[in-house]
Parts: sequence; C-alpha cells; structure tokens
Amino acid sequence: MSSDLILKMEGIWKSFPGVTVFENFDFDLRRGEIHCICGENGAGKSTLIKILSGAHQPDRGTVYFNGEKVESLSPRSAMEIGIQTIYQEHNSFPLLNVVENLYTGNEKVNGIVLDMKTMVSKAEEILKHLHSDLSPFDIVGRLGSGAQKSVEIAKALLQESKVIILDEPTASFTQTEIEHLLNVIKKLAQSGISIIYISHHIEEVFQIADRVTVIRDGVNVLTDDAANLNEQKVISAMVGRDVSLFYDRKEVAVGETVFEARGLSGNGVTDVSLYVRRGEILGIAGMVGSGRTELAELLFGSKAAAAGEVLINGEKVDLKSPQSAILHDMCFITEDRQNSGLFLDHPLDKNIPIASYAKTATPLALPREDEKLARHYVDALAITTPSVFQKVVYLSGGNQQKVVLAKWFATEADIFIFDEPTRGIDVGAKEEIYKLMVEILEQKKAIIMISSDMPELIAMSNRVLVMRNGSVAGQLDKNEVSEENVLAYSIGGSLN
Amino acid sequence: MKVKRLLKHDNTPILLVFLGMLVVVVLIEWIFVRGGDFGRVAFLRPMNVSNVLLQVAVTGILAIGMTLVMISGGIDLSVGQMVSFLGTLTAFLLRTGTWNAYSVALFIIVLGVLCQLFMGFIISRTTLEPFIISLGFMSIYRGLTYLISGGRELSIHGQFTFLGQSRINITPQLRLGMPVIIFLLLIISVGLILKYTKFGRRVYAVGNNENAAFLAGINVRDFKLLIYAINGLLIAIASMTLASRLGTGNPLMGQGREIEVIAAVVVGGTALSGGKGNIYGTLIGAMLLGIISNALNILGVSPHWQFVMRGVVIIIAVVIGYLSSIGTFSLKTLFKSRRAIEPDPVNPA
Repeated sequence: MSSDLILKMEGIWKSFPGVTVFENFDFDLRRGEIHCICGENGAGKSTLIKILSGAHQPDRGTVYFNGEKVESLSPRSAMEIGIQTIYQEHNSFPLLNVVENLYTGNEKVNGIVLDMKTMVSKAEEILKHLHSDLSPFDIVGRLGSGAQKSVEIAKALLQESKVIILDEPTASFTQTEIEHLLNVIKKLAQSGISIIYISHHIEEVFQIADRVTVIRDGVNVLTDDAANLNEQKVISAMVGRDVSLFYDRKEVAVGETVFEARGLSGNGVTDVSLYVRRGEILGIAGMVGSGRTELAELLFGSKAAAAGEVLINGEKVDLKSPQSAILHDMCFITEDRQNSGLFLDHPLDKNIPIASYAKTATPLALPREDEKLARHYVDALAITTPSVFQKVVYLSGGNQQKVVLAKWFATEADIFIFDEPTRGIDVGAKEEIYKLMVEILEQKKAIIMISSDMPELIAMSNRVLVMRNGSVAGQLDKNEVSEENVLAYSIGGSLN
Repeated sequence: MKVKRLLKHDNTPILLVFLGMLVVVVLIEWIFVRGGDFGRVAFLRPMNVSNVLLQVAVTGILAIGMTLVMISGGIDLSVGQMVSFLGTLTAFLLRTGTWNAYSVALFIIVLGVLCQLFMGFIISRTTLEPFIISLGFMSIYRGLTYLISGGRELSIHGQFTFLGQSRINITPQLRLGMPVIIFLLLIISVGLILKYTKFGRRVYAVGNNENAAFLAGINVRDFKLLIYAINGLLIAIASMTLASRLGTGNPLMGQGREIEVIAAVVVGGTALSGGKGNIYGTLIGAMLLGIISNALNILGVSPHWQFVMRGVVIIIAVVIGYLSSIGTFSLKTLFKSRRAIEPDPVNPA
C-alpha cells in the first residue's frame, strides 16, 4: 500500500439474507483528496458507508487504514482511528447549543467542573474556519440545514478525524448553503483531511471531486480522476444491467385518461403535471429525496396542495383527505408498509376490510362478513398464512405487501398509487406482485408507480416521469425509457 | 378446537386470575373464618354479590369510557376530578330548586360532553401528550369543584334518588341496584358497538397505527374527538349516579378514582400503547379490583391492607397478561429483553 493512501478496501464481500451487496469490492482513498461516489439507488453506497463506519462487518475482505490492516471496525473504533461519518439526516441535539453539541460525550473538565472557557474558545476557533457567522451559543435546532451540517463537520474536526464521509449532505440545502458547504469541504481537503462524498447531484460531483468512483450492483466499475471524466462517462458507468433480470410483462390495451394533475405544488413539490390512462403504468423515477413520495402524498390528499388541480375521469375534484381520495376510487400503497400500511398487531380479517369501510353506507361491520372478505383475498392473492386470524406482523414481507394490496382491492379502487411496490420483498414474491399489477391493468384500471428499482421501472412502466428537487426533470415515452435517460434526468445531466 | 380458541382468548388469563381469587377467598373464609361450615360462607351470597356490584358500578361506567380512550391510543387523568365537578354541580343545581331533575340531568350530560370535547380538541389537534393535557384539566376541575361547593358537602338527601338508589329485586336477596343495571347495559352496548360496527373497528385501527388509519380513510382527528365526547357522556352518567347514590355532592367524591379506573382497564388487558383491549376484560378488571376490600372485610383483615392487596393484584395481572400475550409462561422470559422473545416476523415458528 503506497503511503499516499489513507484508506484501502480490498476484496470486500458483503451479503444480507437473500441479497448480495458487495462482490469483491475494491476501493481506495488518498490523503487530502475529495473522492466522490456515484451509483443508482441500491447500488451499494449505503453499505459502503456502513462498513467504513463500523455499523456492518464485511463477510470477507480487508480494510487498511494508514497502511495498517484493520482487524474489525465497530462504530466506536472507526471513530477512534479517525473515520467520521456525517449522515444525511441531522444527527445533533436540537435543543442544545453549538458548544454543547460539539462536546457531548467528550466534555472538557477541570476536576469535576465543566471547563466552559476552553470549550467555547476551541469551538469559536473551529467555527471561524467553517461558518464564521455561527456563535457557539446558537441553539442547533434553530439553525438552517447548512449551518447544522457545519456543526457536525466541526464535531468531526474536534475529534481530529482523518477521513470524513459525507452522505448526501446537501439534501434540503439552498443554493448558497450548497456553495458554502462545497467551499468548506475543499478547505478541509487542502488541510490534509480525506473526504468521501456521496451525492446524487452530478454537477456537485464535478465541482469538487478529485477522483470519482462509480458503484453498480456492488461492484466498483469505475475509479478515475475527475479530470479524465465527464457526465456521460459517469452515467454510462452507472447503468448497464443484465437484461435477463428484467421482468417481461404482458402488454395491456391503453384506454382513456382516468387521472390527471395540473400544476400541483406544495409539500416540497413544485408545479407537477401528470396524467395516467386506463391500462397503463406511469412510472415515477428519481433519486431518493427527489420529492416522489411527497408528490404521491399530494395526489392522494394526505398532504394539502398549495396550488394546482386534480381531474378524475375528466372532472375536477377536490382531494382534501385520503378519505375523499378513497371515495374517488383511489388508493395508495405506501413505501413503508409497516408504518403506514398495516395494523401489525391486528389479524388479517381486521386489516383487509378497514379501508373499504370508508365506502359503505352502513355503520355496521360484521365480523363474519369481514372474515369472508379476508378469506376471499387470501385465496385470490394466494397469501400464505395459517389463517385469517393471524396477526400480520408474523407474515413475510411479500405476504404483508399482499395484505396491503388486499386492503385496497377490497375498496374496488380504480387508480392505484404504488410507492416502491416491491421494497424488501424476495424475488419470487416480486414477480407475484408484478402479476397482480398486470391484473389491475387488465381490469382497465390505472397505476402510478414510484420506484427506485431501475429494472422494475423500465420493465413495468408505459411512460416514466423523472423527478428532481421536487419538480419534473423530464418525461420519457415508452421508446425513450432507458436506464441512461432516466438516470440522466435524475442526477441533473442531459439526454444524449 | 373450541376449547383451544377459548384458551387463547385475550380475556382468558385475567378471567382465570379472577376465578382463582374467588376460590381462594371462599376457601379461606370457609376453613379459617367459618370453621369449616360451608353454610355460613358469606362471600358468594347474593346479598354480598349485590353489594360488591354496587360498589363497582360507578368505577365500571368510567372504565368503559377509559377503555375506548385507551384502545384508541389516548388516556384521560381528569375523570376523577371531573366526577367531583359534575357530581357537586348536580347537587348544587338541585339545591337551588329552580331546575327540575330532568333539566339538571340534561345540563350535566351536555356539560360533560362539552368538557371532554374541549380537551379532545386540544389533544386531537396538537401533538401534545394526552397525559399532560388531561393532568391540567384534572386540576382545573378540582378548582371548579371547590369554587362551586365552597369546600363543603352539598346534601341532596331525599331527592334525585332514581339513578343511584332505586333497584330491582330479582330475589329478596339478589337486588340489582340501578347503578349496576346502568353499568351492565352500557357494558353490553359498548361491547356490541366495538365488535359489530365500523366505529368499533376503527377505535382499534387508530390505536394501533394512526398513520395507516389516516391513509385508510379515517379522519383520525375528528375520530379522537368523538371518542372523548363519548367519554364525557359516560363521565356525566357516572357522576350523577354517584351523587344520587351518596345523596350528596362533595369535592372528594371522585378524587383518586382515575387511578382505580385506569387500573381496572389495564388489568382488563387494554394496552397502554393502544390498539388492543376489550370491554369484557375491563368488566373483569373492575370486578377483580372491586372485590378486594370486600374480601378483606369478610376475612376480618384490616381494611388498610386493601391498597397493598390491590397493588399486588394489579402487578400480578399485568405480568400474567404480558406472559400470555407472548405465549409463554416461563418467568425467565420476563427478564429477557423484549426483542429477544418476539417471534421472528420473517420466519414465524
């Protein structure tokens, strides 16, 4: 290992039950360089961070730090040798001030009394370089996103970190905050600290990177100096999957427009217009955090729109709550079924009928009818469960997802919004969900599908809308839908 | 098969504790107090049963409302002081002599519902903790009660006796007091509502997962408001029943009752976290706690032991309820971390 390398990963293997993330992954980091990492959703970026920060142990392979082999990393030992990770979400104590945040767990003392004087002057010294308008006594929760990130970086500097990993740091930043942060990072690198910078924004990458690594399906497919690269080269390295992995779906005749949104804004989404026709799937692509779920929440009425209108079957409707969306034959299969889709501690016969209550006039809900309904869908969707009295918490991910679907089938919905329909589901169950989606289309219903799973998006969608920073970055028709094009719009590049 | 399902029912453990306690009390009385003469055992005599039921009724009515509130994920600490408030106000209004009993009853019911609507409004429209909000209301009602009564007892002796003092004599020995009849009718109706109506199913849904309930078309905020309103109605009924039974309104009549009520509900198997529980469990819970002082009395033990006994029973009942909910009765599991004993959701056994 040459002496200009601070960190080196060699032949890393890592798998989780049912999925292999890293196969023989190599990576290295030079002293004082800014190394950007690019990759699609699910390519293995988060796993890389988790291995380096000690949250996950690799199955095989070696990590060298400062020329020495690291036996095993724990979150604590990673920090001790000088690897500090700054996660996407703020990781601070919002009610405490800057000094308290910087020193919590690492307090300076005089005997048993806190040495405030030293802590404050040290904090001031560090802040001077990072974010000069910050006072050590500002309450962190009241600061803007950029300033909060600076506090976290300051904490990393206080601990004399040699490697700082920044995961998608500029999410929810304003343009000036982004500029500021990028400058800070450049300064850090000049002072000899190595930076691993993970970003979905290609222009940020080319603004600061010394080197770029592209990860695809857990393999390091490209590492090169930024000077030798351009947007096109990075994008084409990110794509290129095995076509045999793609699901081959049956085509269904497309009918008239059933759902249309015009100029929808609010909830972090700006001016989105879209439509979907009977028998088709409108795919919504974009990087995590691009505003896709927020858009779905607007479409379903679970968050209020500030502007824009929605038309169902050509008629203007006011979707002010999920209740009214359900009455207009819509449904929303959320990405997080455990938190927003299921009543985990309740059995199937209590989960499946619950949404259909919104549509019936009677105040009664007879257990016998509910049971019958549940039985019907257990058979129709081939849900594997010992009985309809089983609590859904004990079902597998795929079967839980089917229970969510059953809940909405029971409402006889017409317009389906799927947010990550197959997240956390094994391959076999995935195909079953796809088949059910095609069945929905065959019943002349429409689907809006948010997905981070590129093969799924491409195989299933008739058209794709790509979101970026809360608005539509581009629309792709069937013949234009390709990994390159979706990705180009998602990360702010341009089409070929 | 039937037996197996009965054994797995949520209420089975607490029912067994209850029956076990009856047996123990009867055995002790029979052997030690009555010297082996079974004919003299007083505990299960109709007269004694009638008395115990009468003592349980008011707490029981309050526990019905609390069960709804707690299944839906809330809690209400103000019930005890609200009983004092509404009960004292009932006596106060009757004593002024300007309103007849029906007008007073109607007024108290409307006021009870409004009070809880006000509290429910704050709880359902904000993310503030119902625990703290209802604690605040508890103090407000306490103050109002003292303001109305001047700290004195307001006697309504001889008037307004129907709700609390009338009774139906089933046999000369077994007399069902009106509070007991009201309590049992309410238990049955709320039990039916919880099981056979959309409202009932939604109480559980909101308590188990508010997000999912909202996305399933339930207006969670208004729904919670409705539940507090129902709670207010039940508190009003309980307050008037108590004032009628005591023949007086005073600031102490409801004090501390919120703890009895919450204990009955929790012992009856309702989860503090919401989403789980049922009204028959609450009935058993209220009875179980209600017989303690009566049993001690019959066994000739100092009545001061009742609080100790009640505490022991609450803890035992909750431990048994927890162990049965995870399907094991090994005490070892109780001391393991919760995560370790939860069945693997991916590969259920």
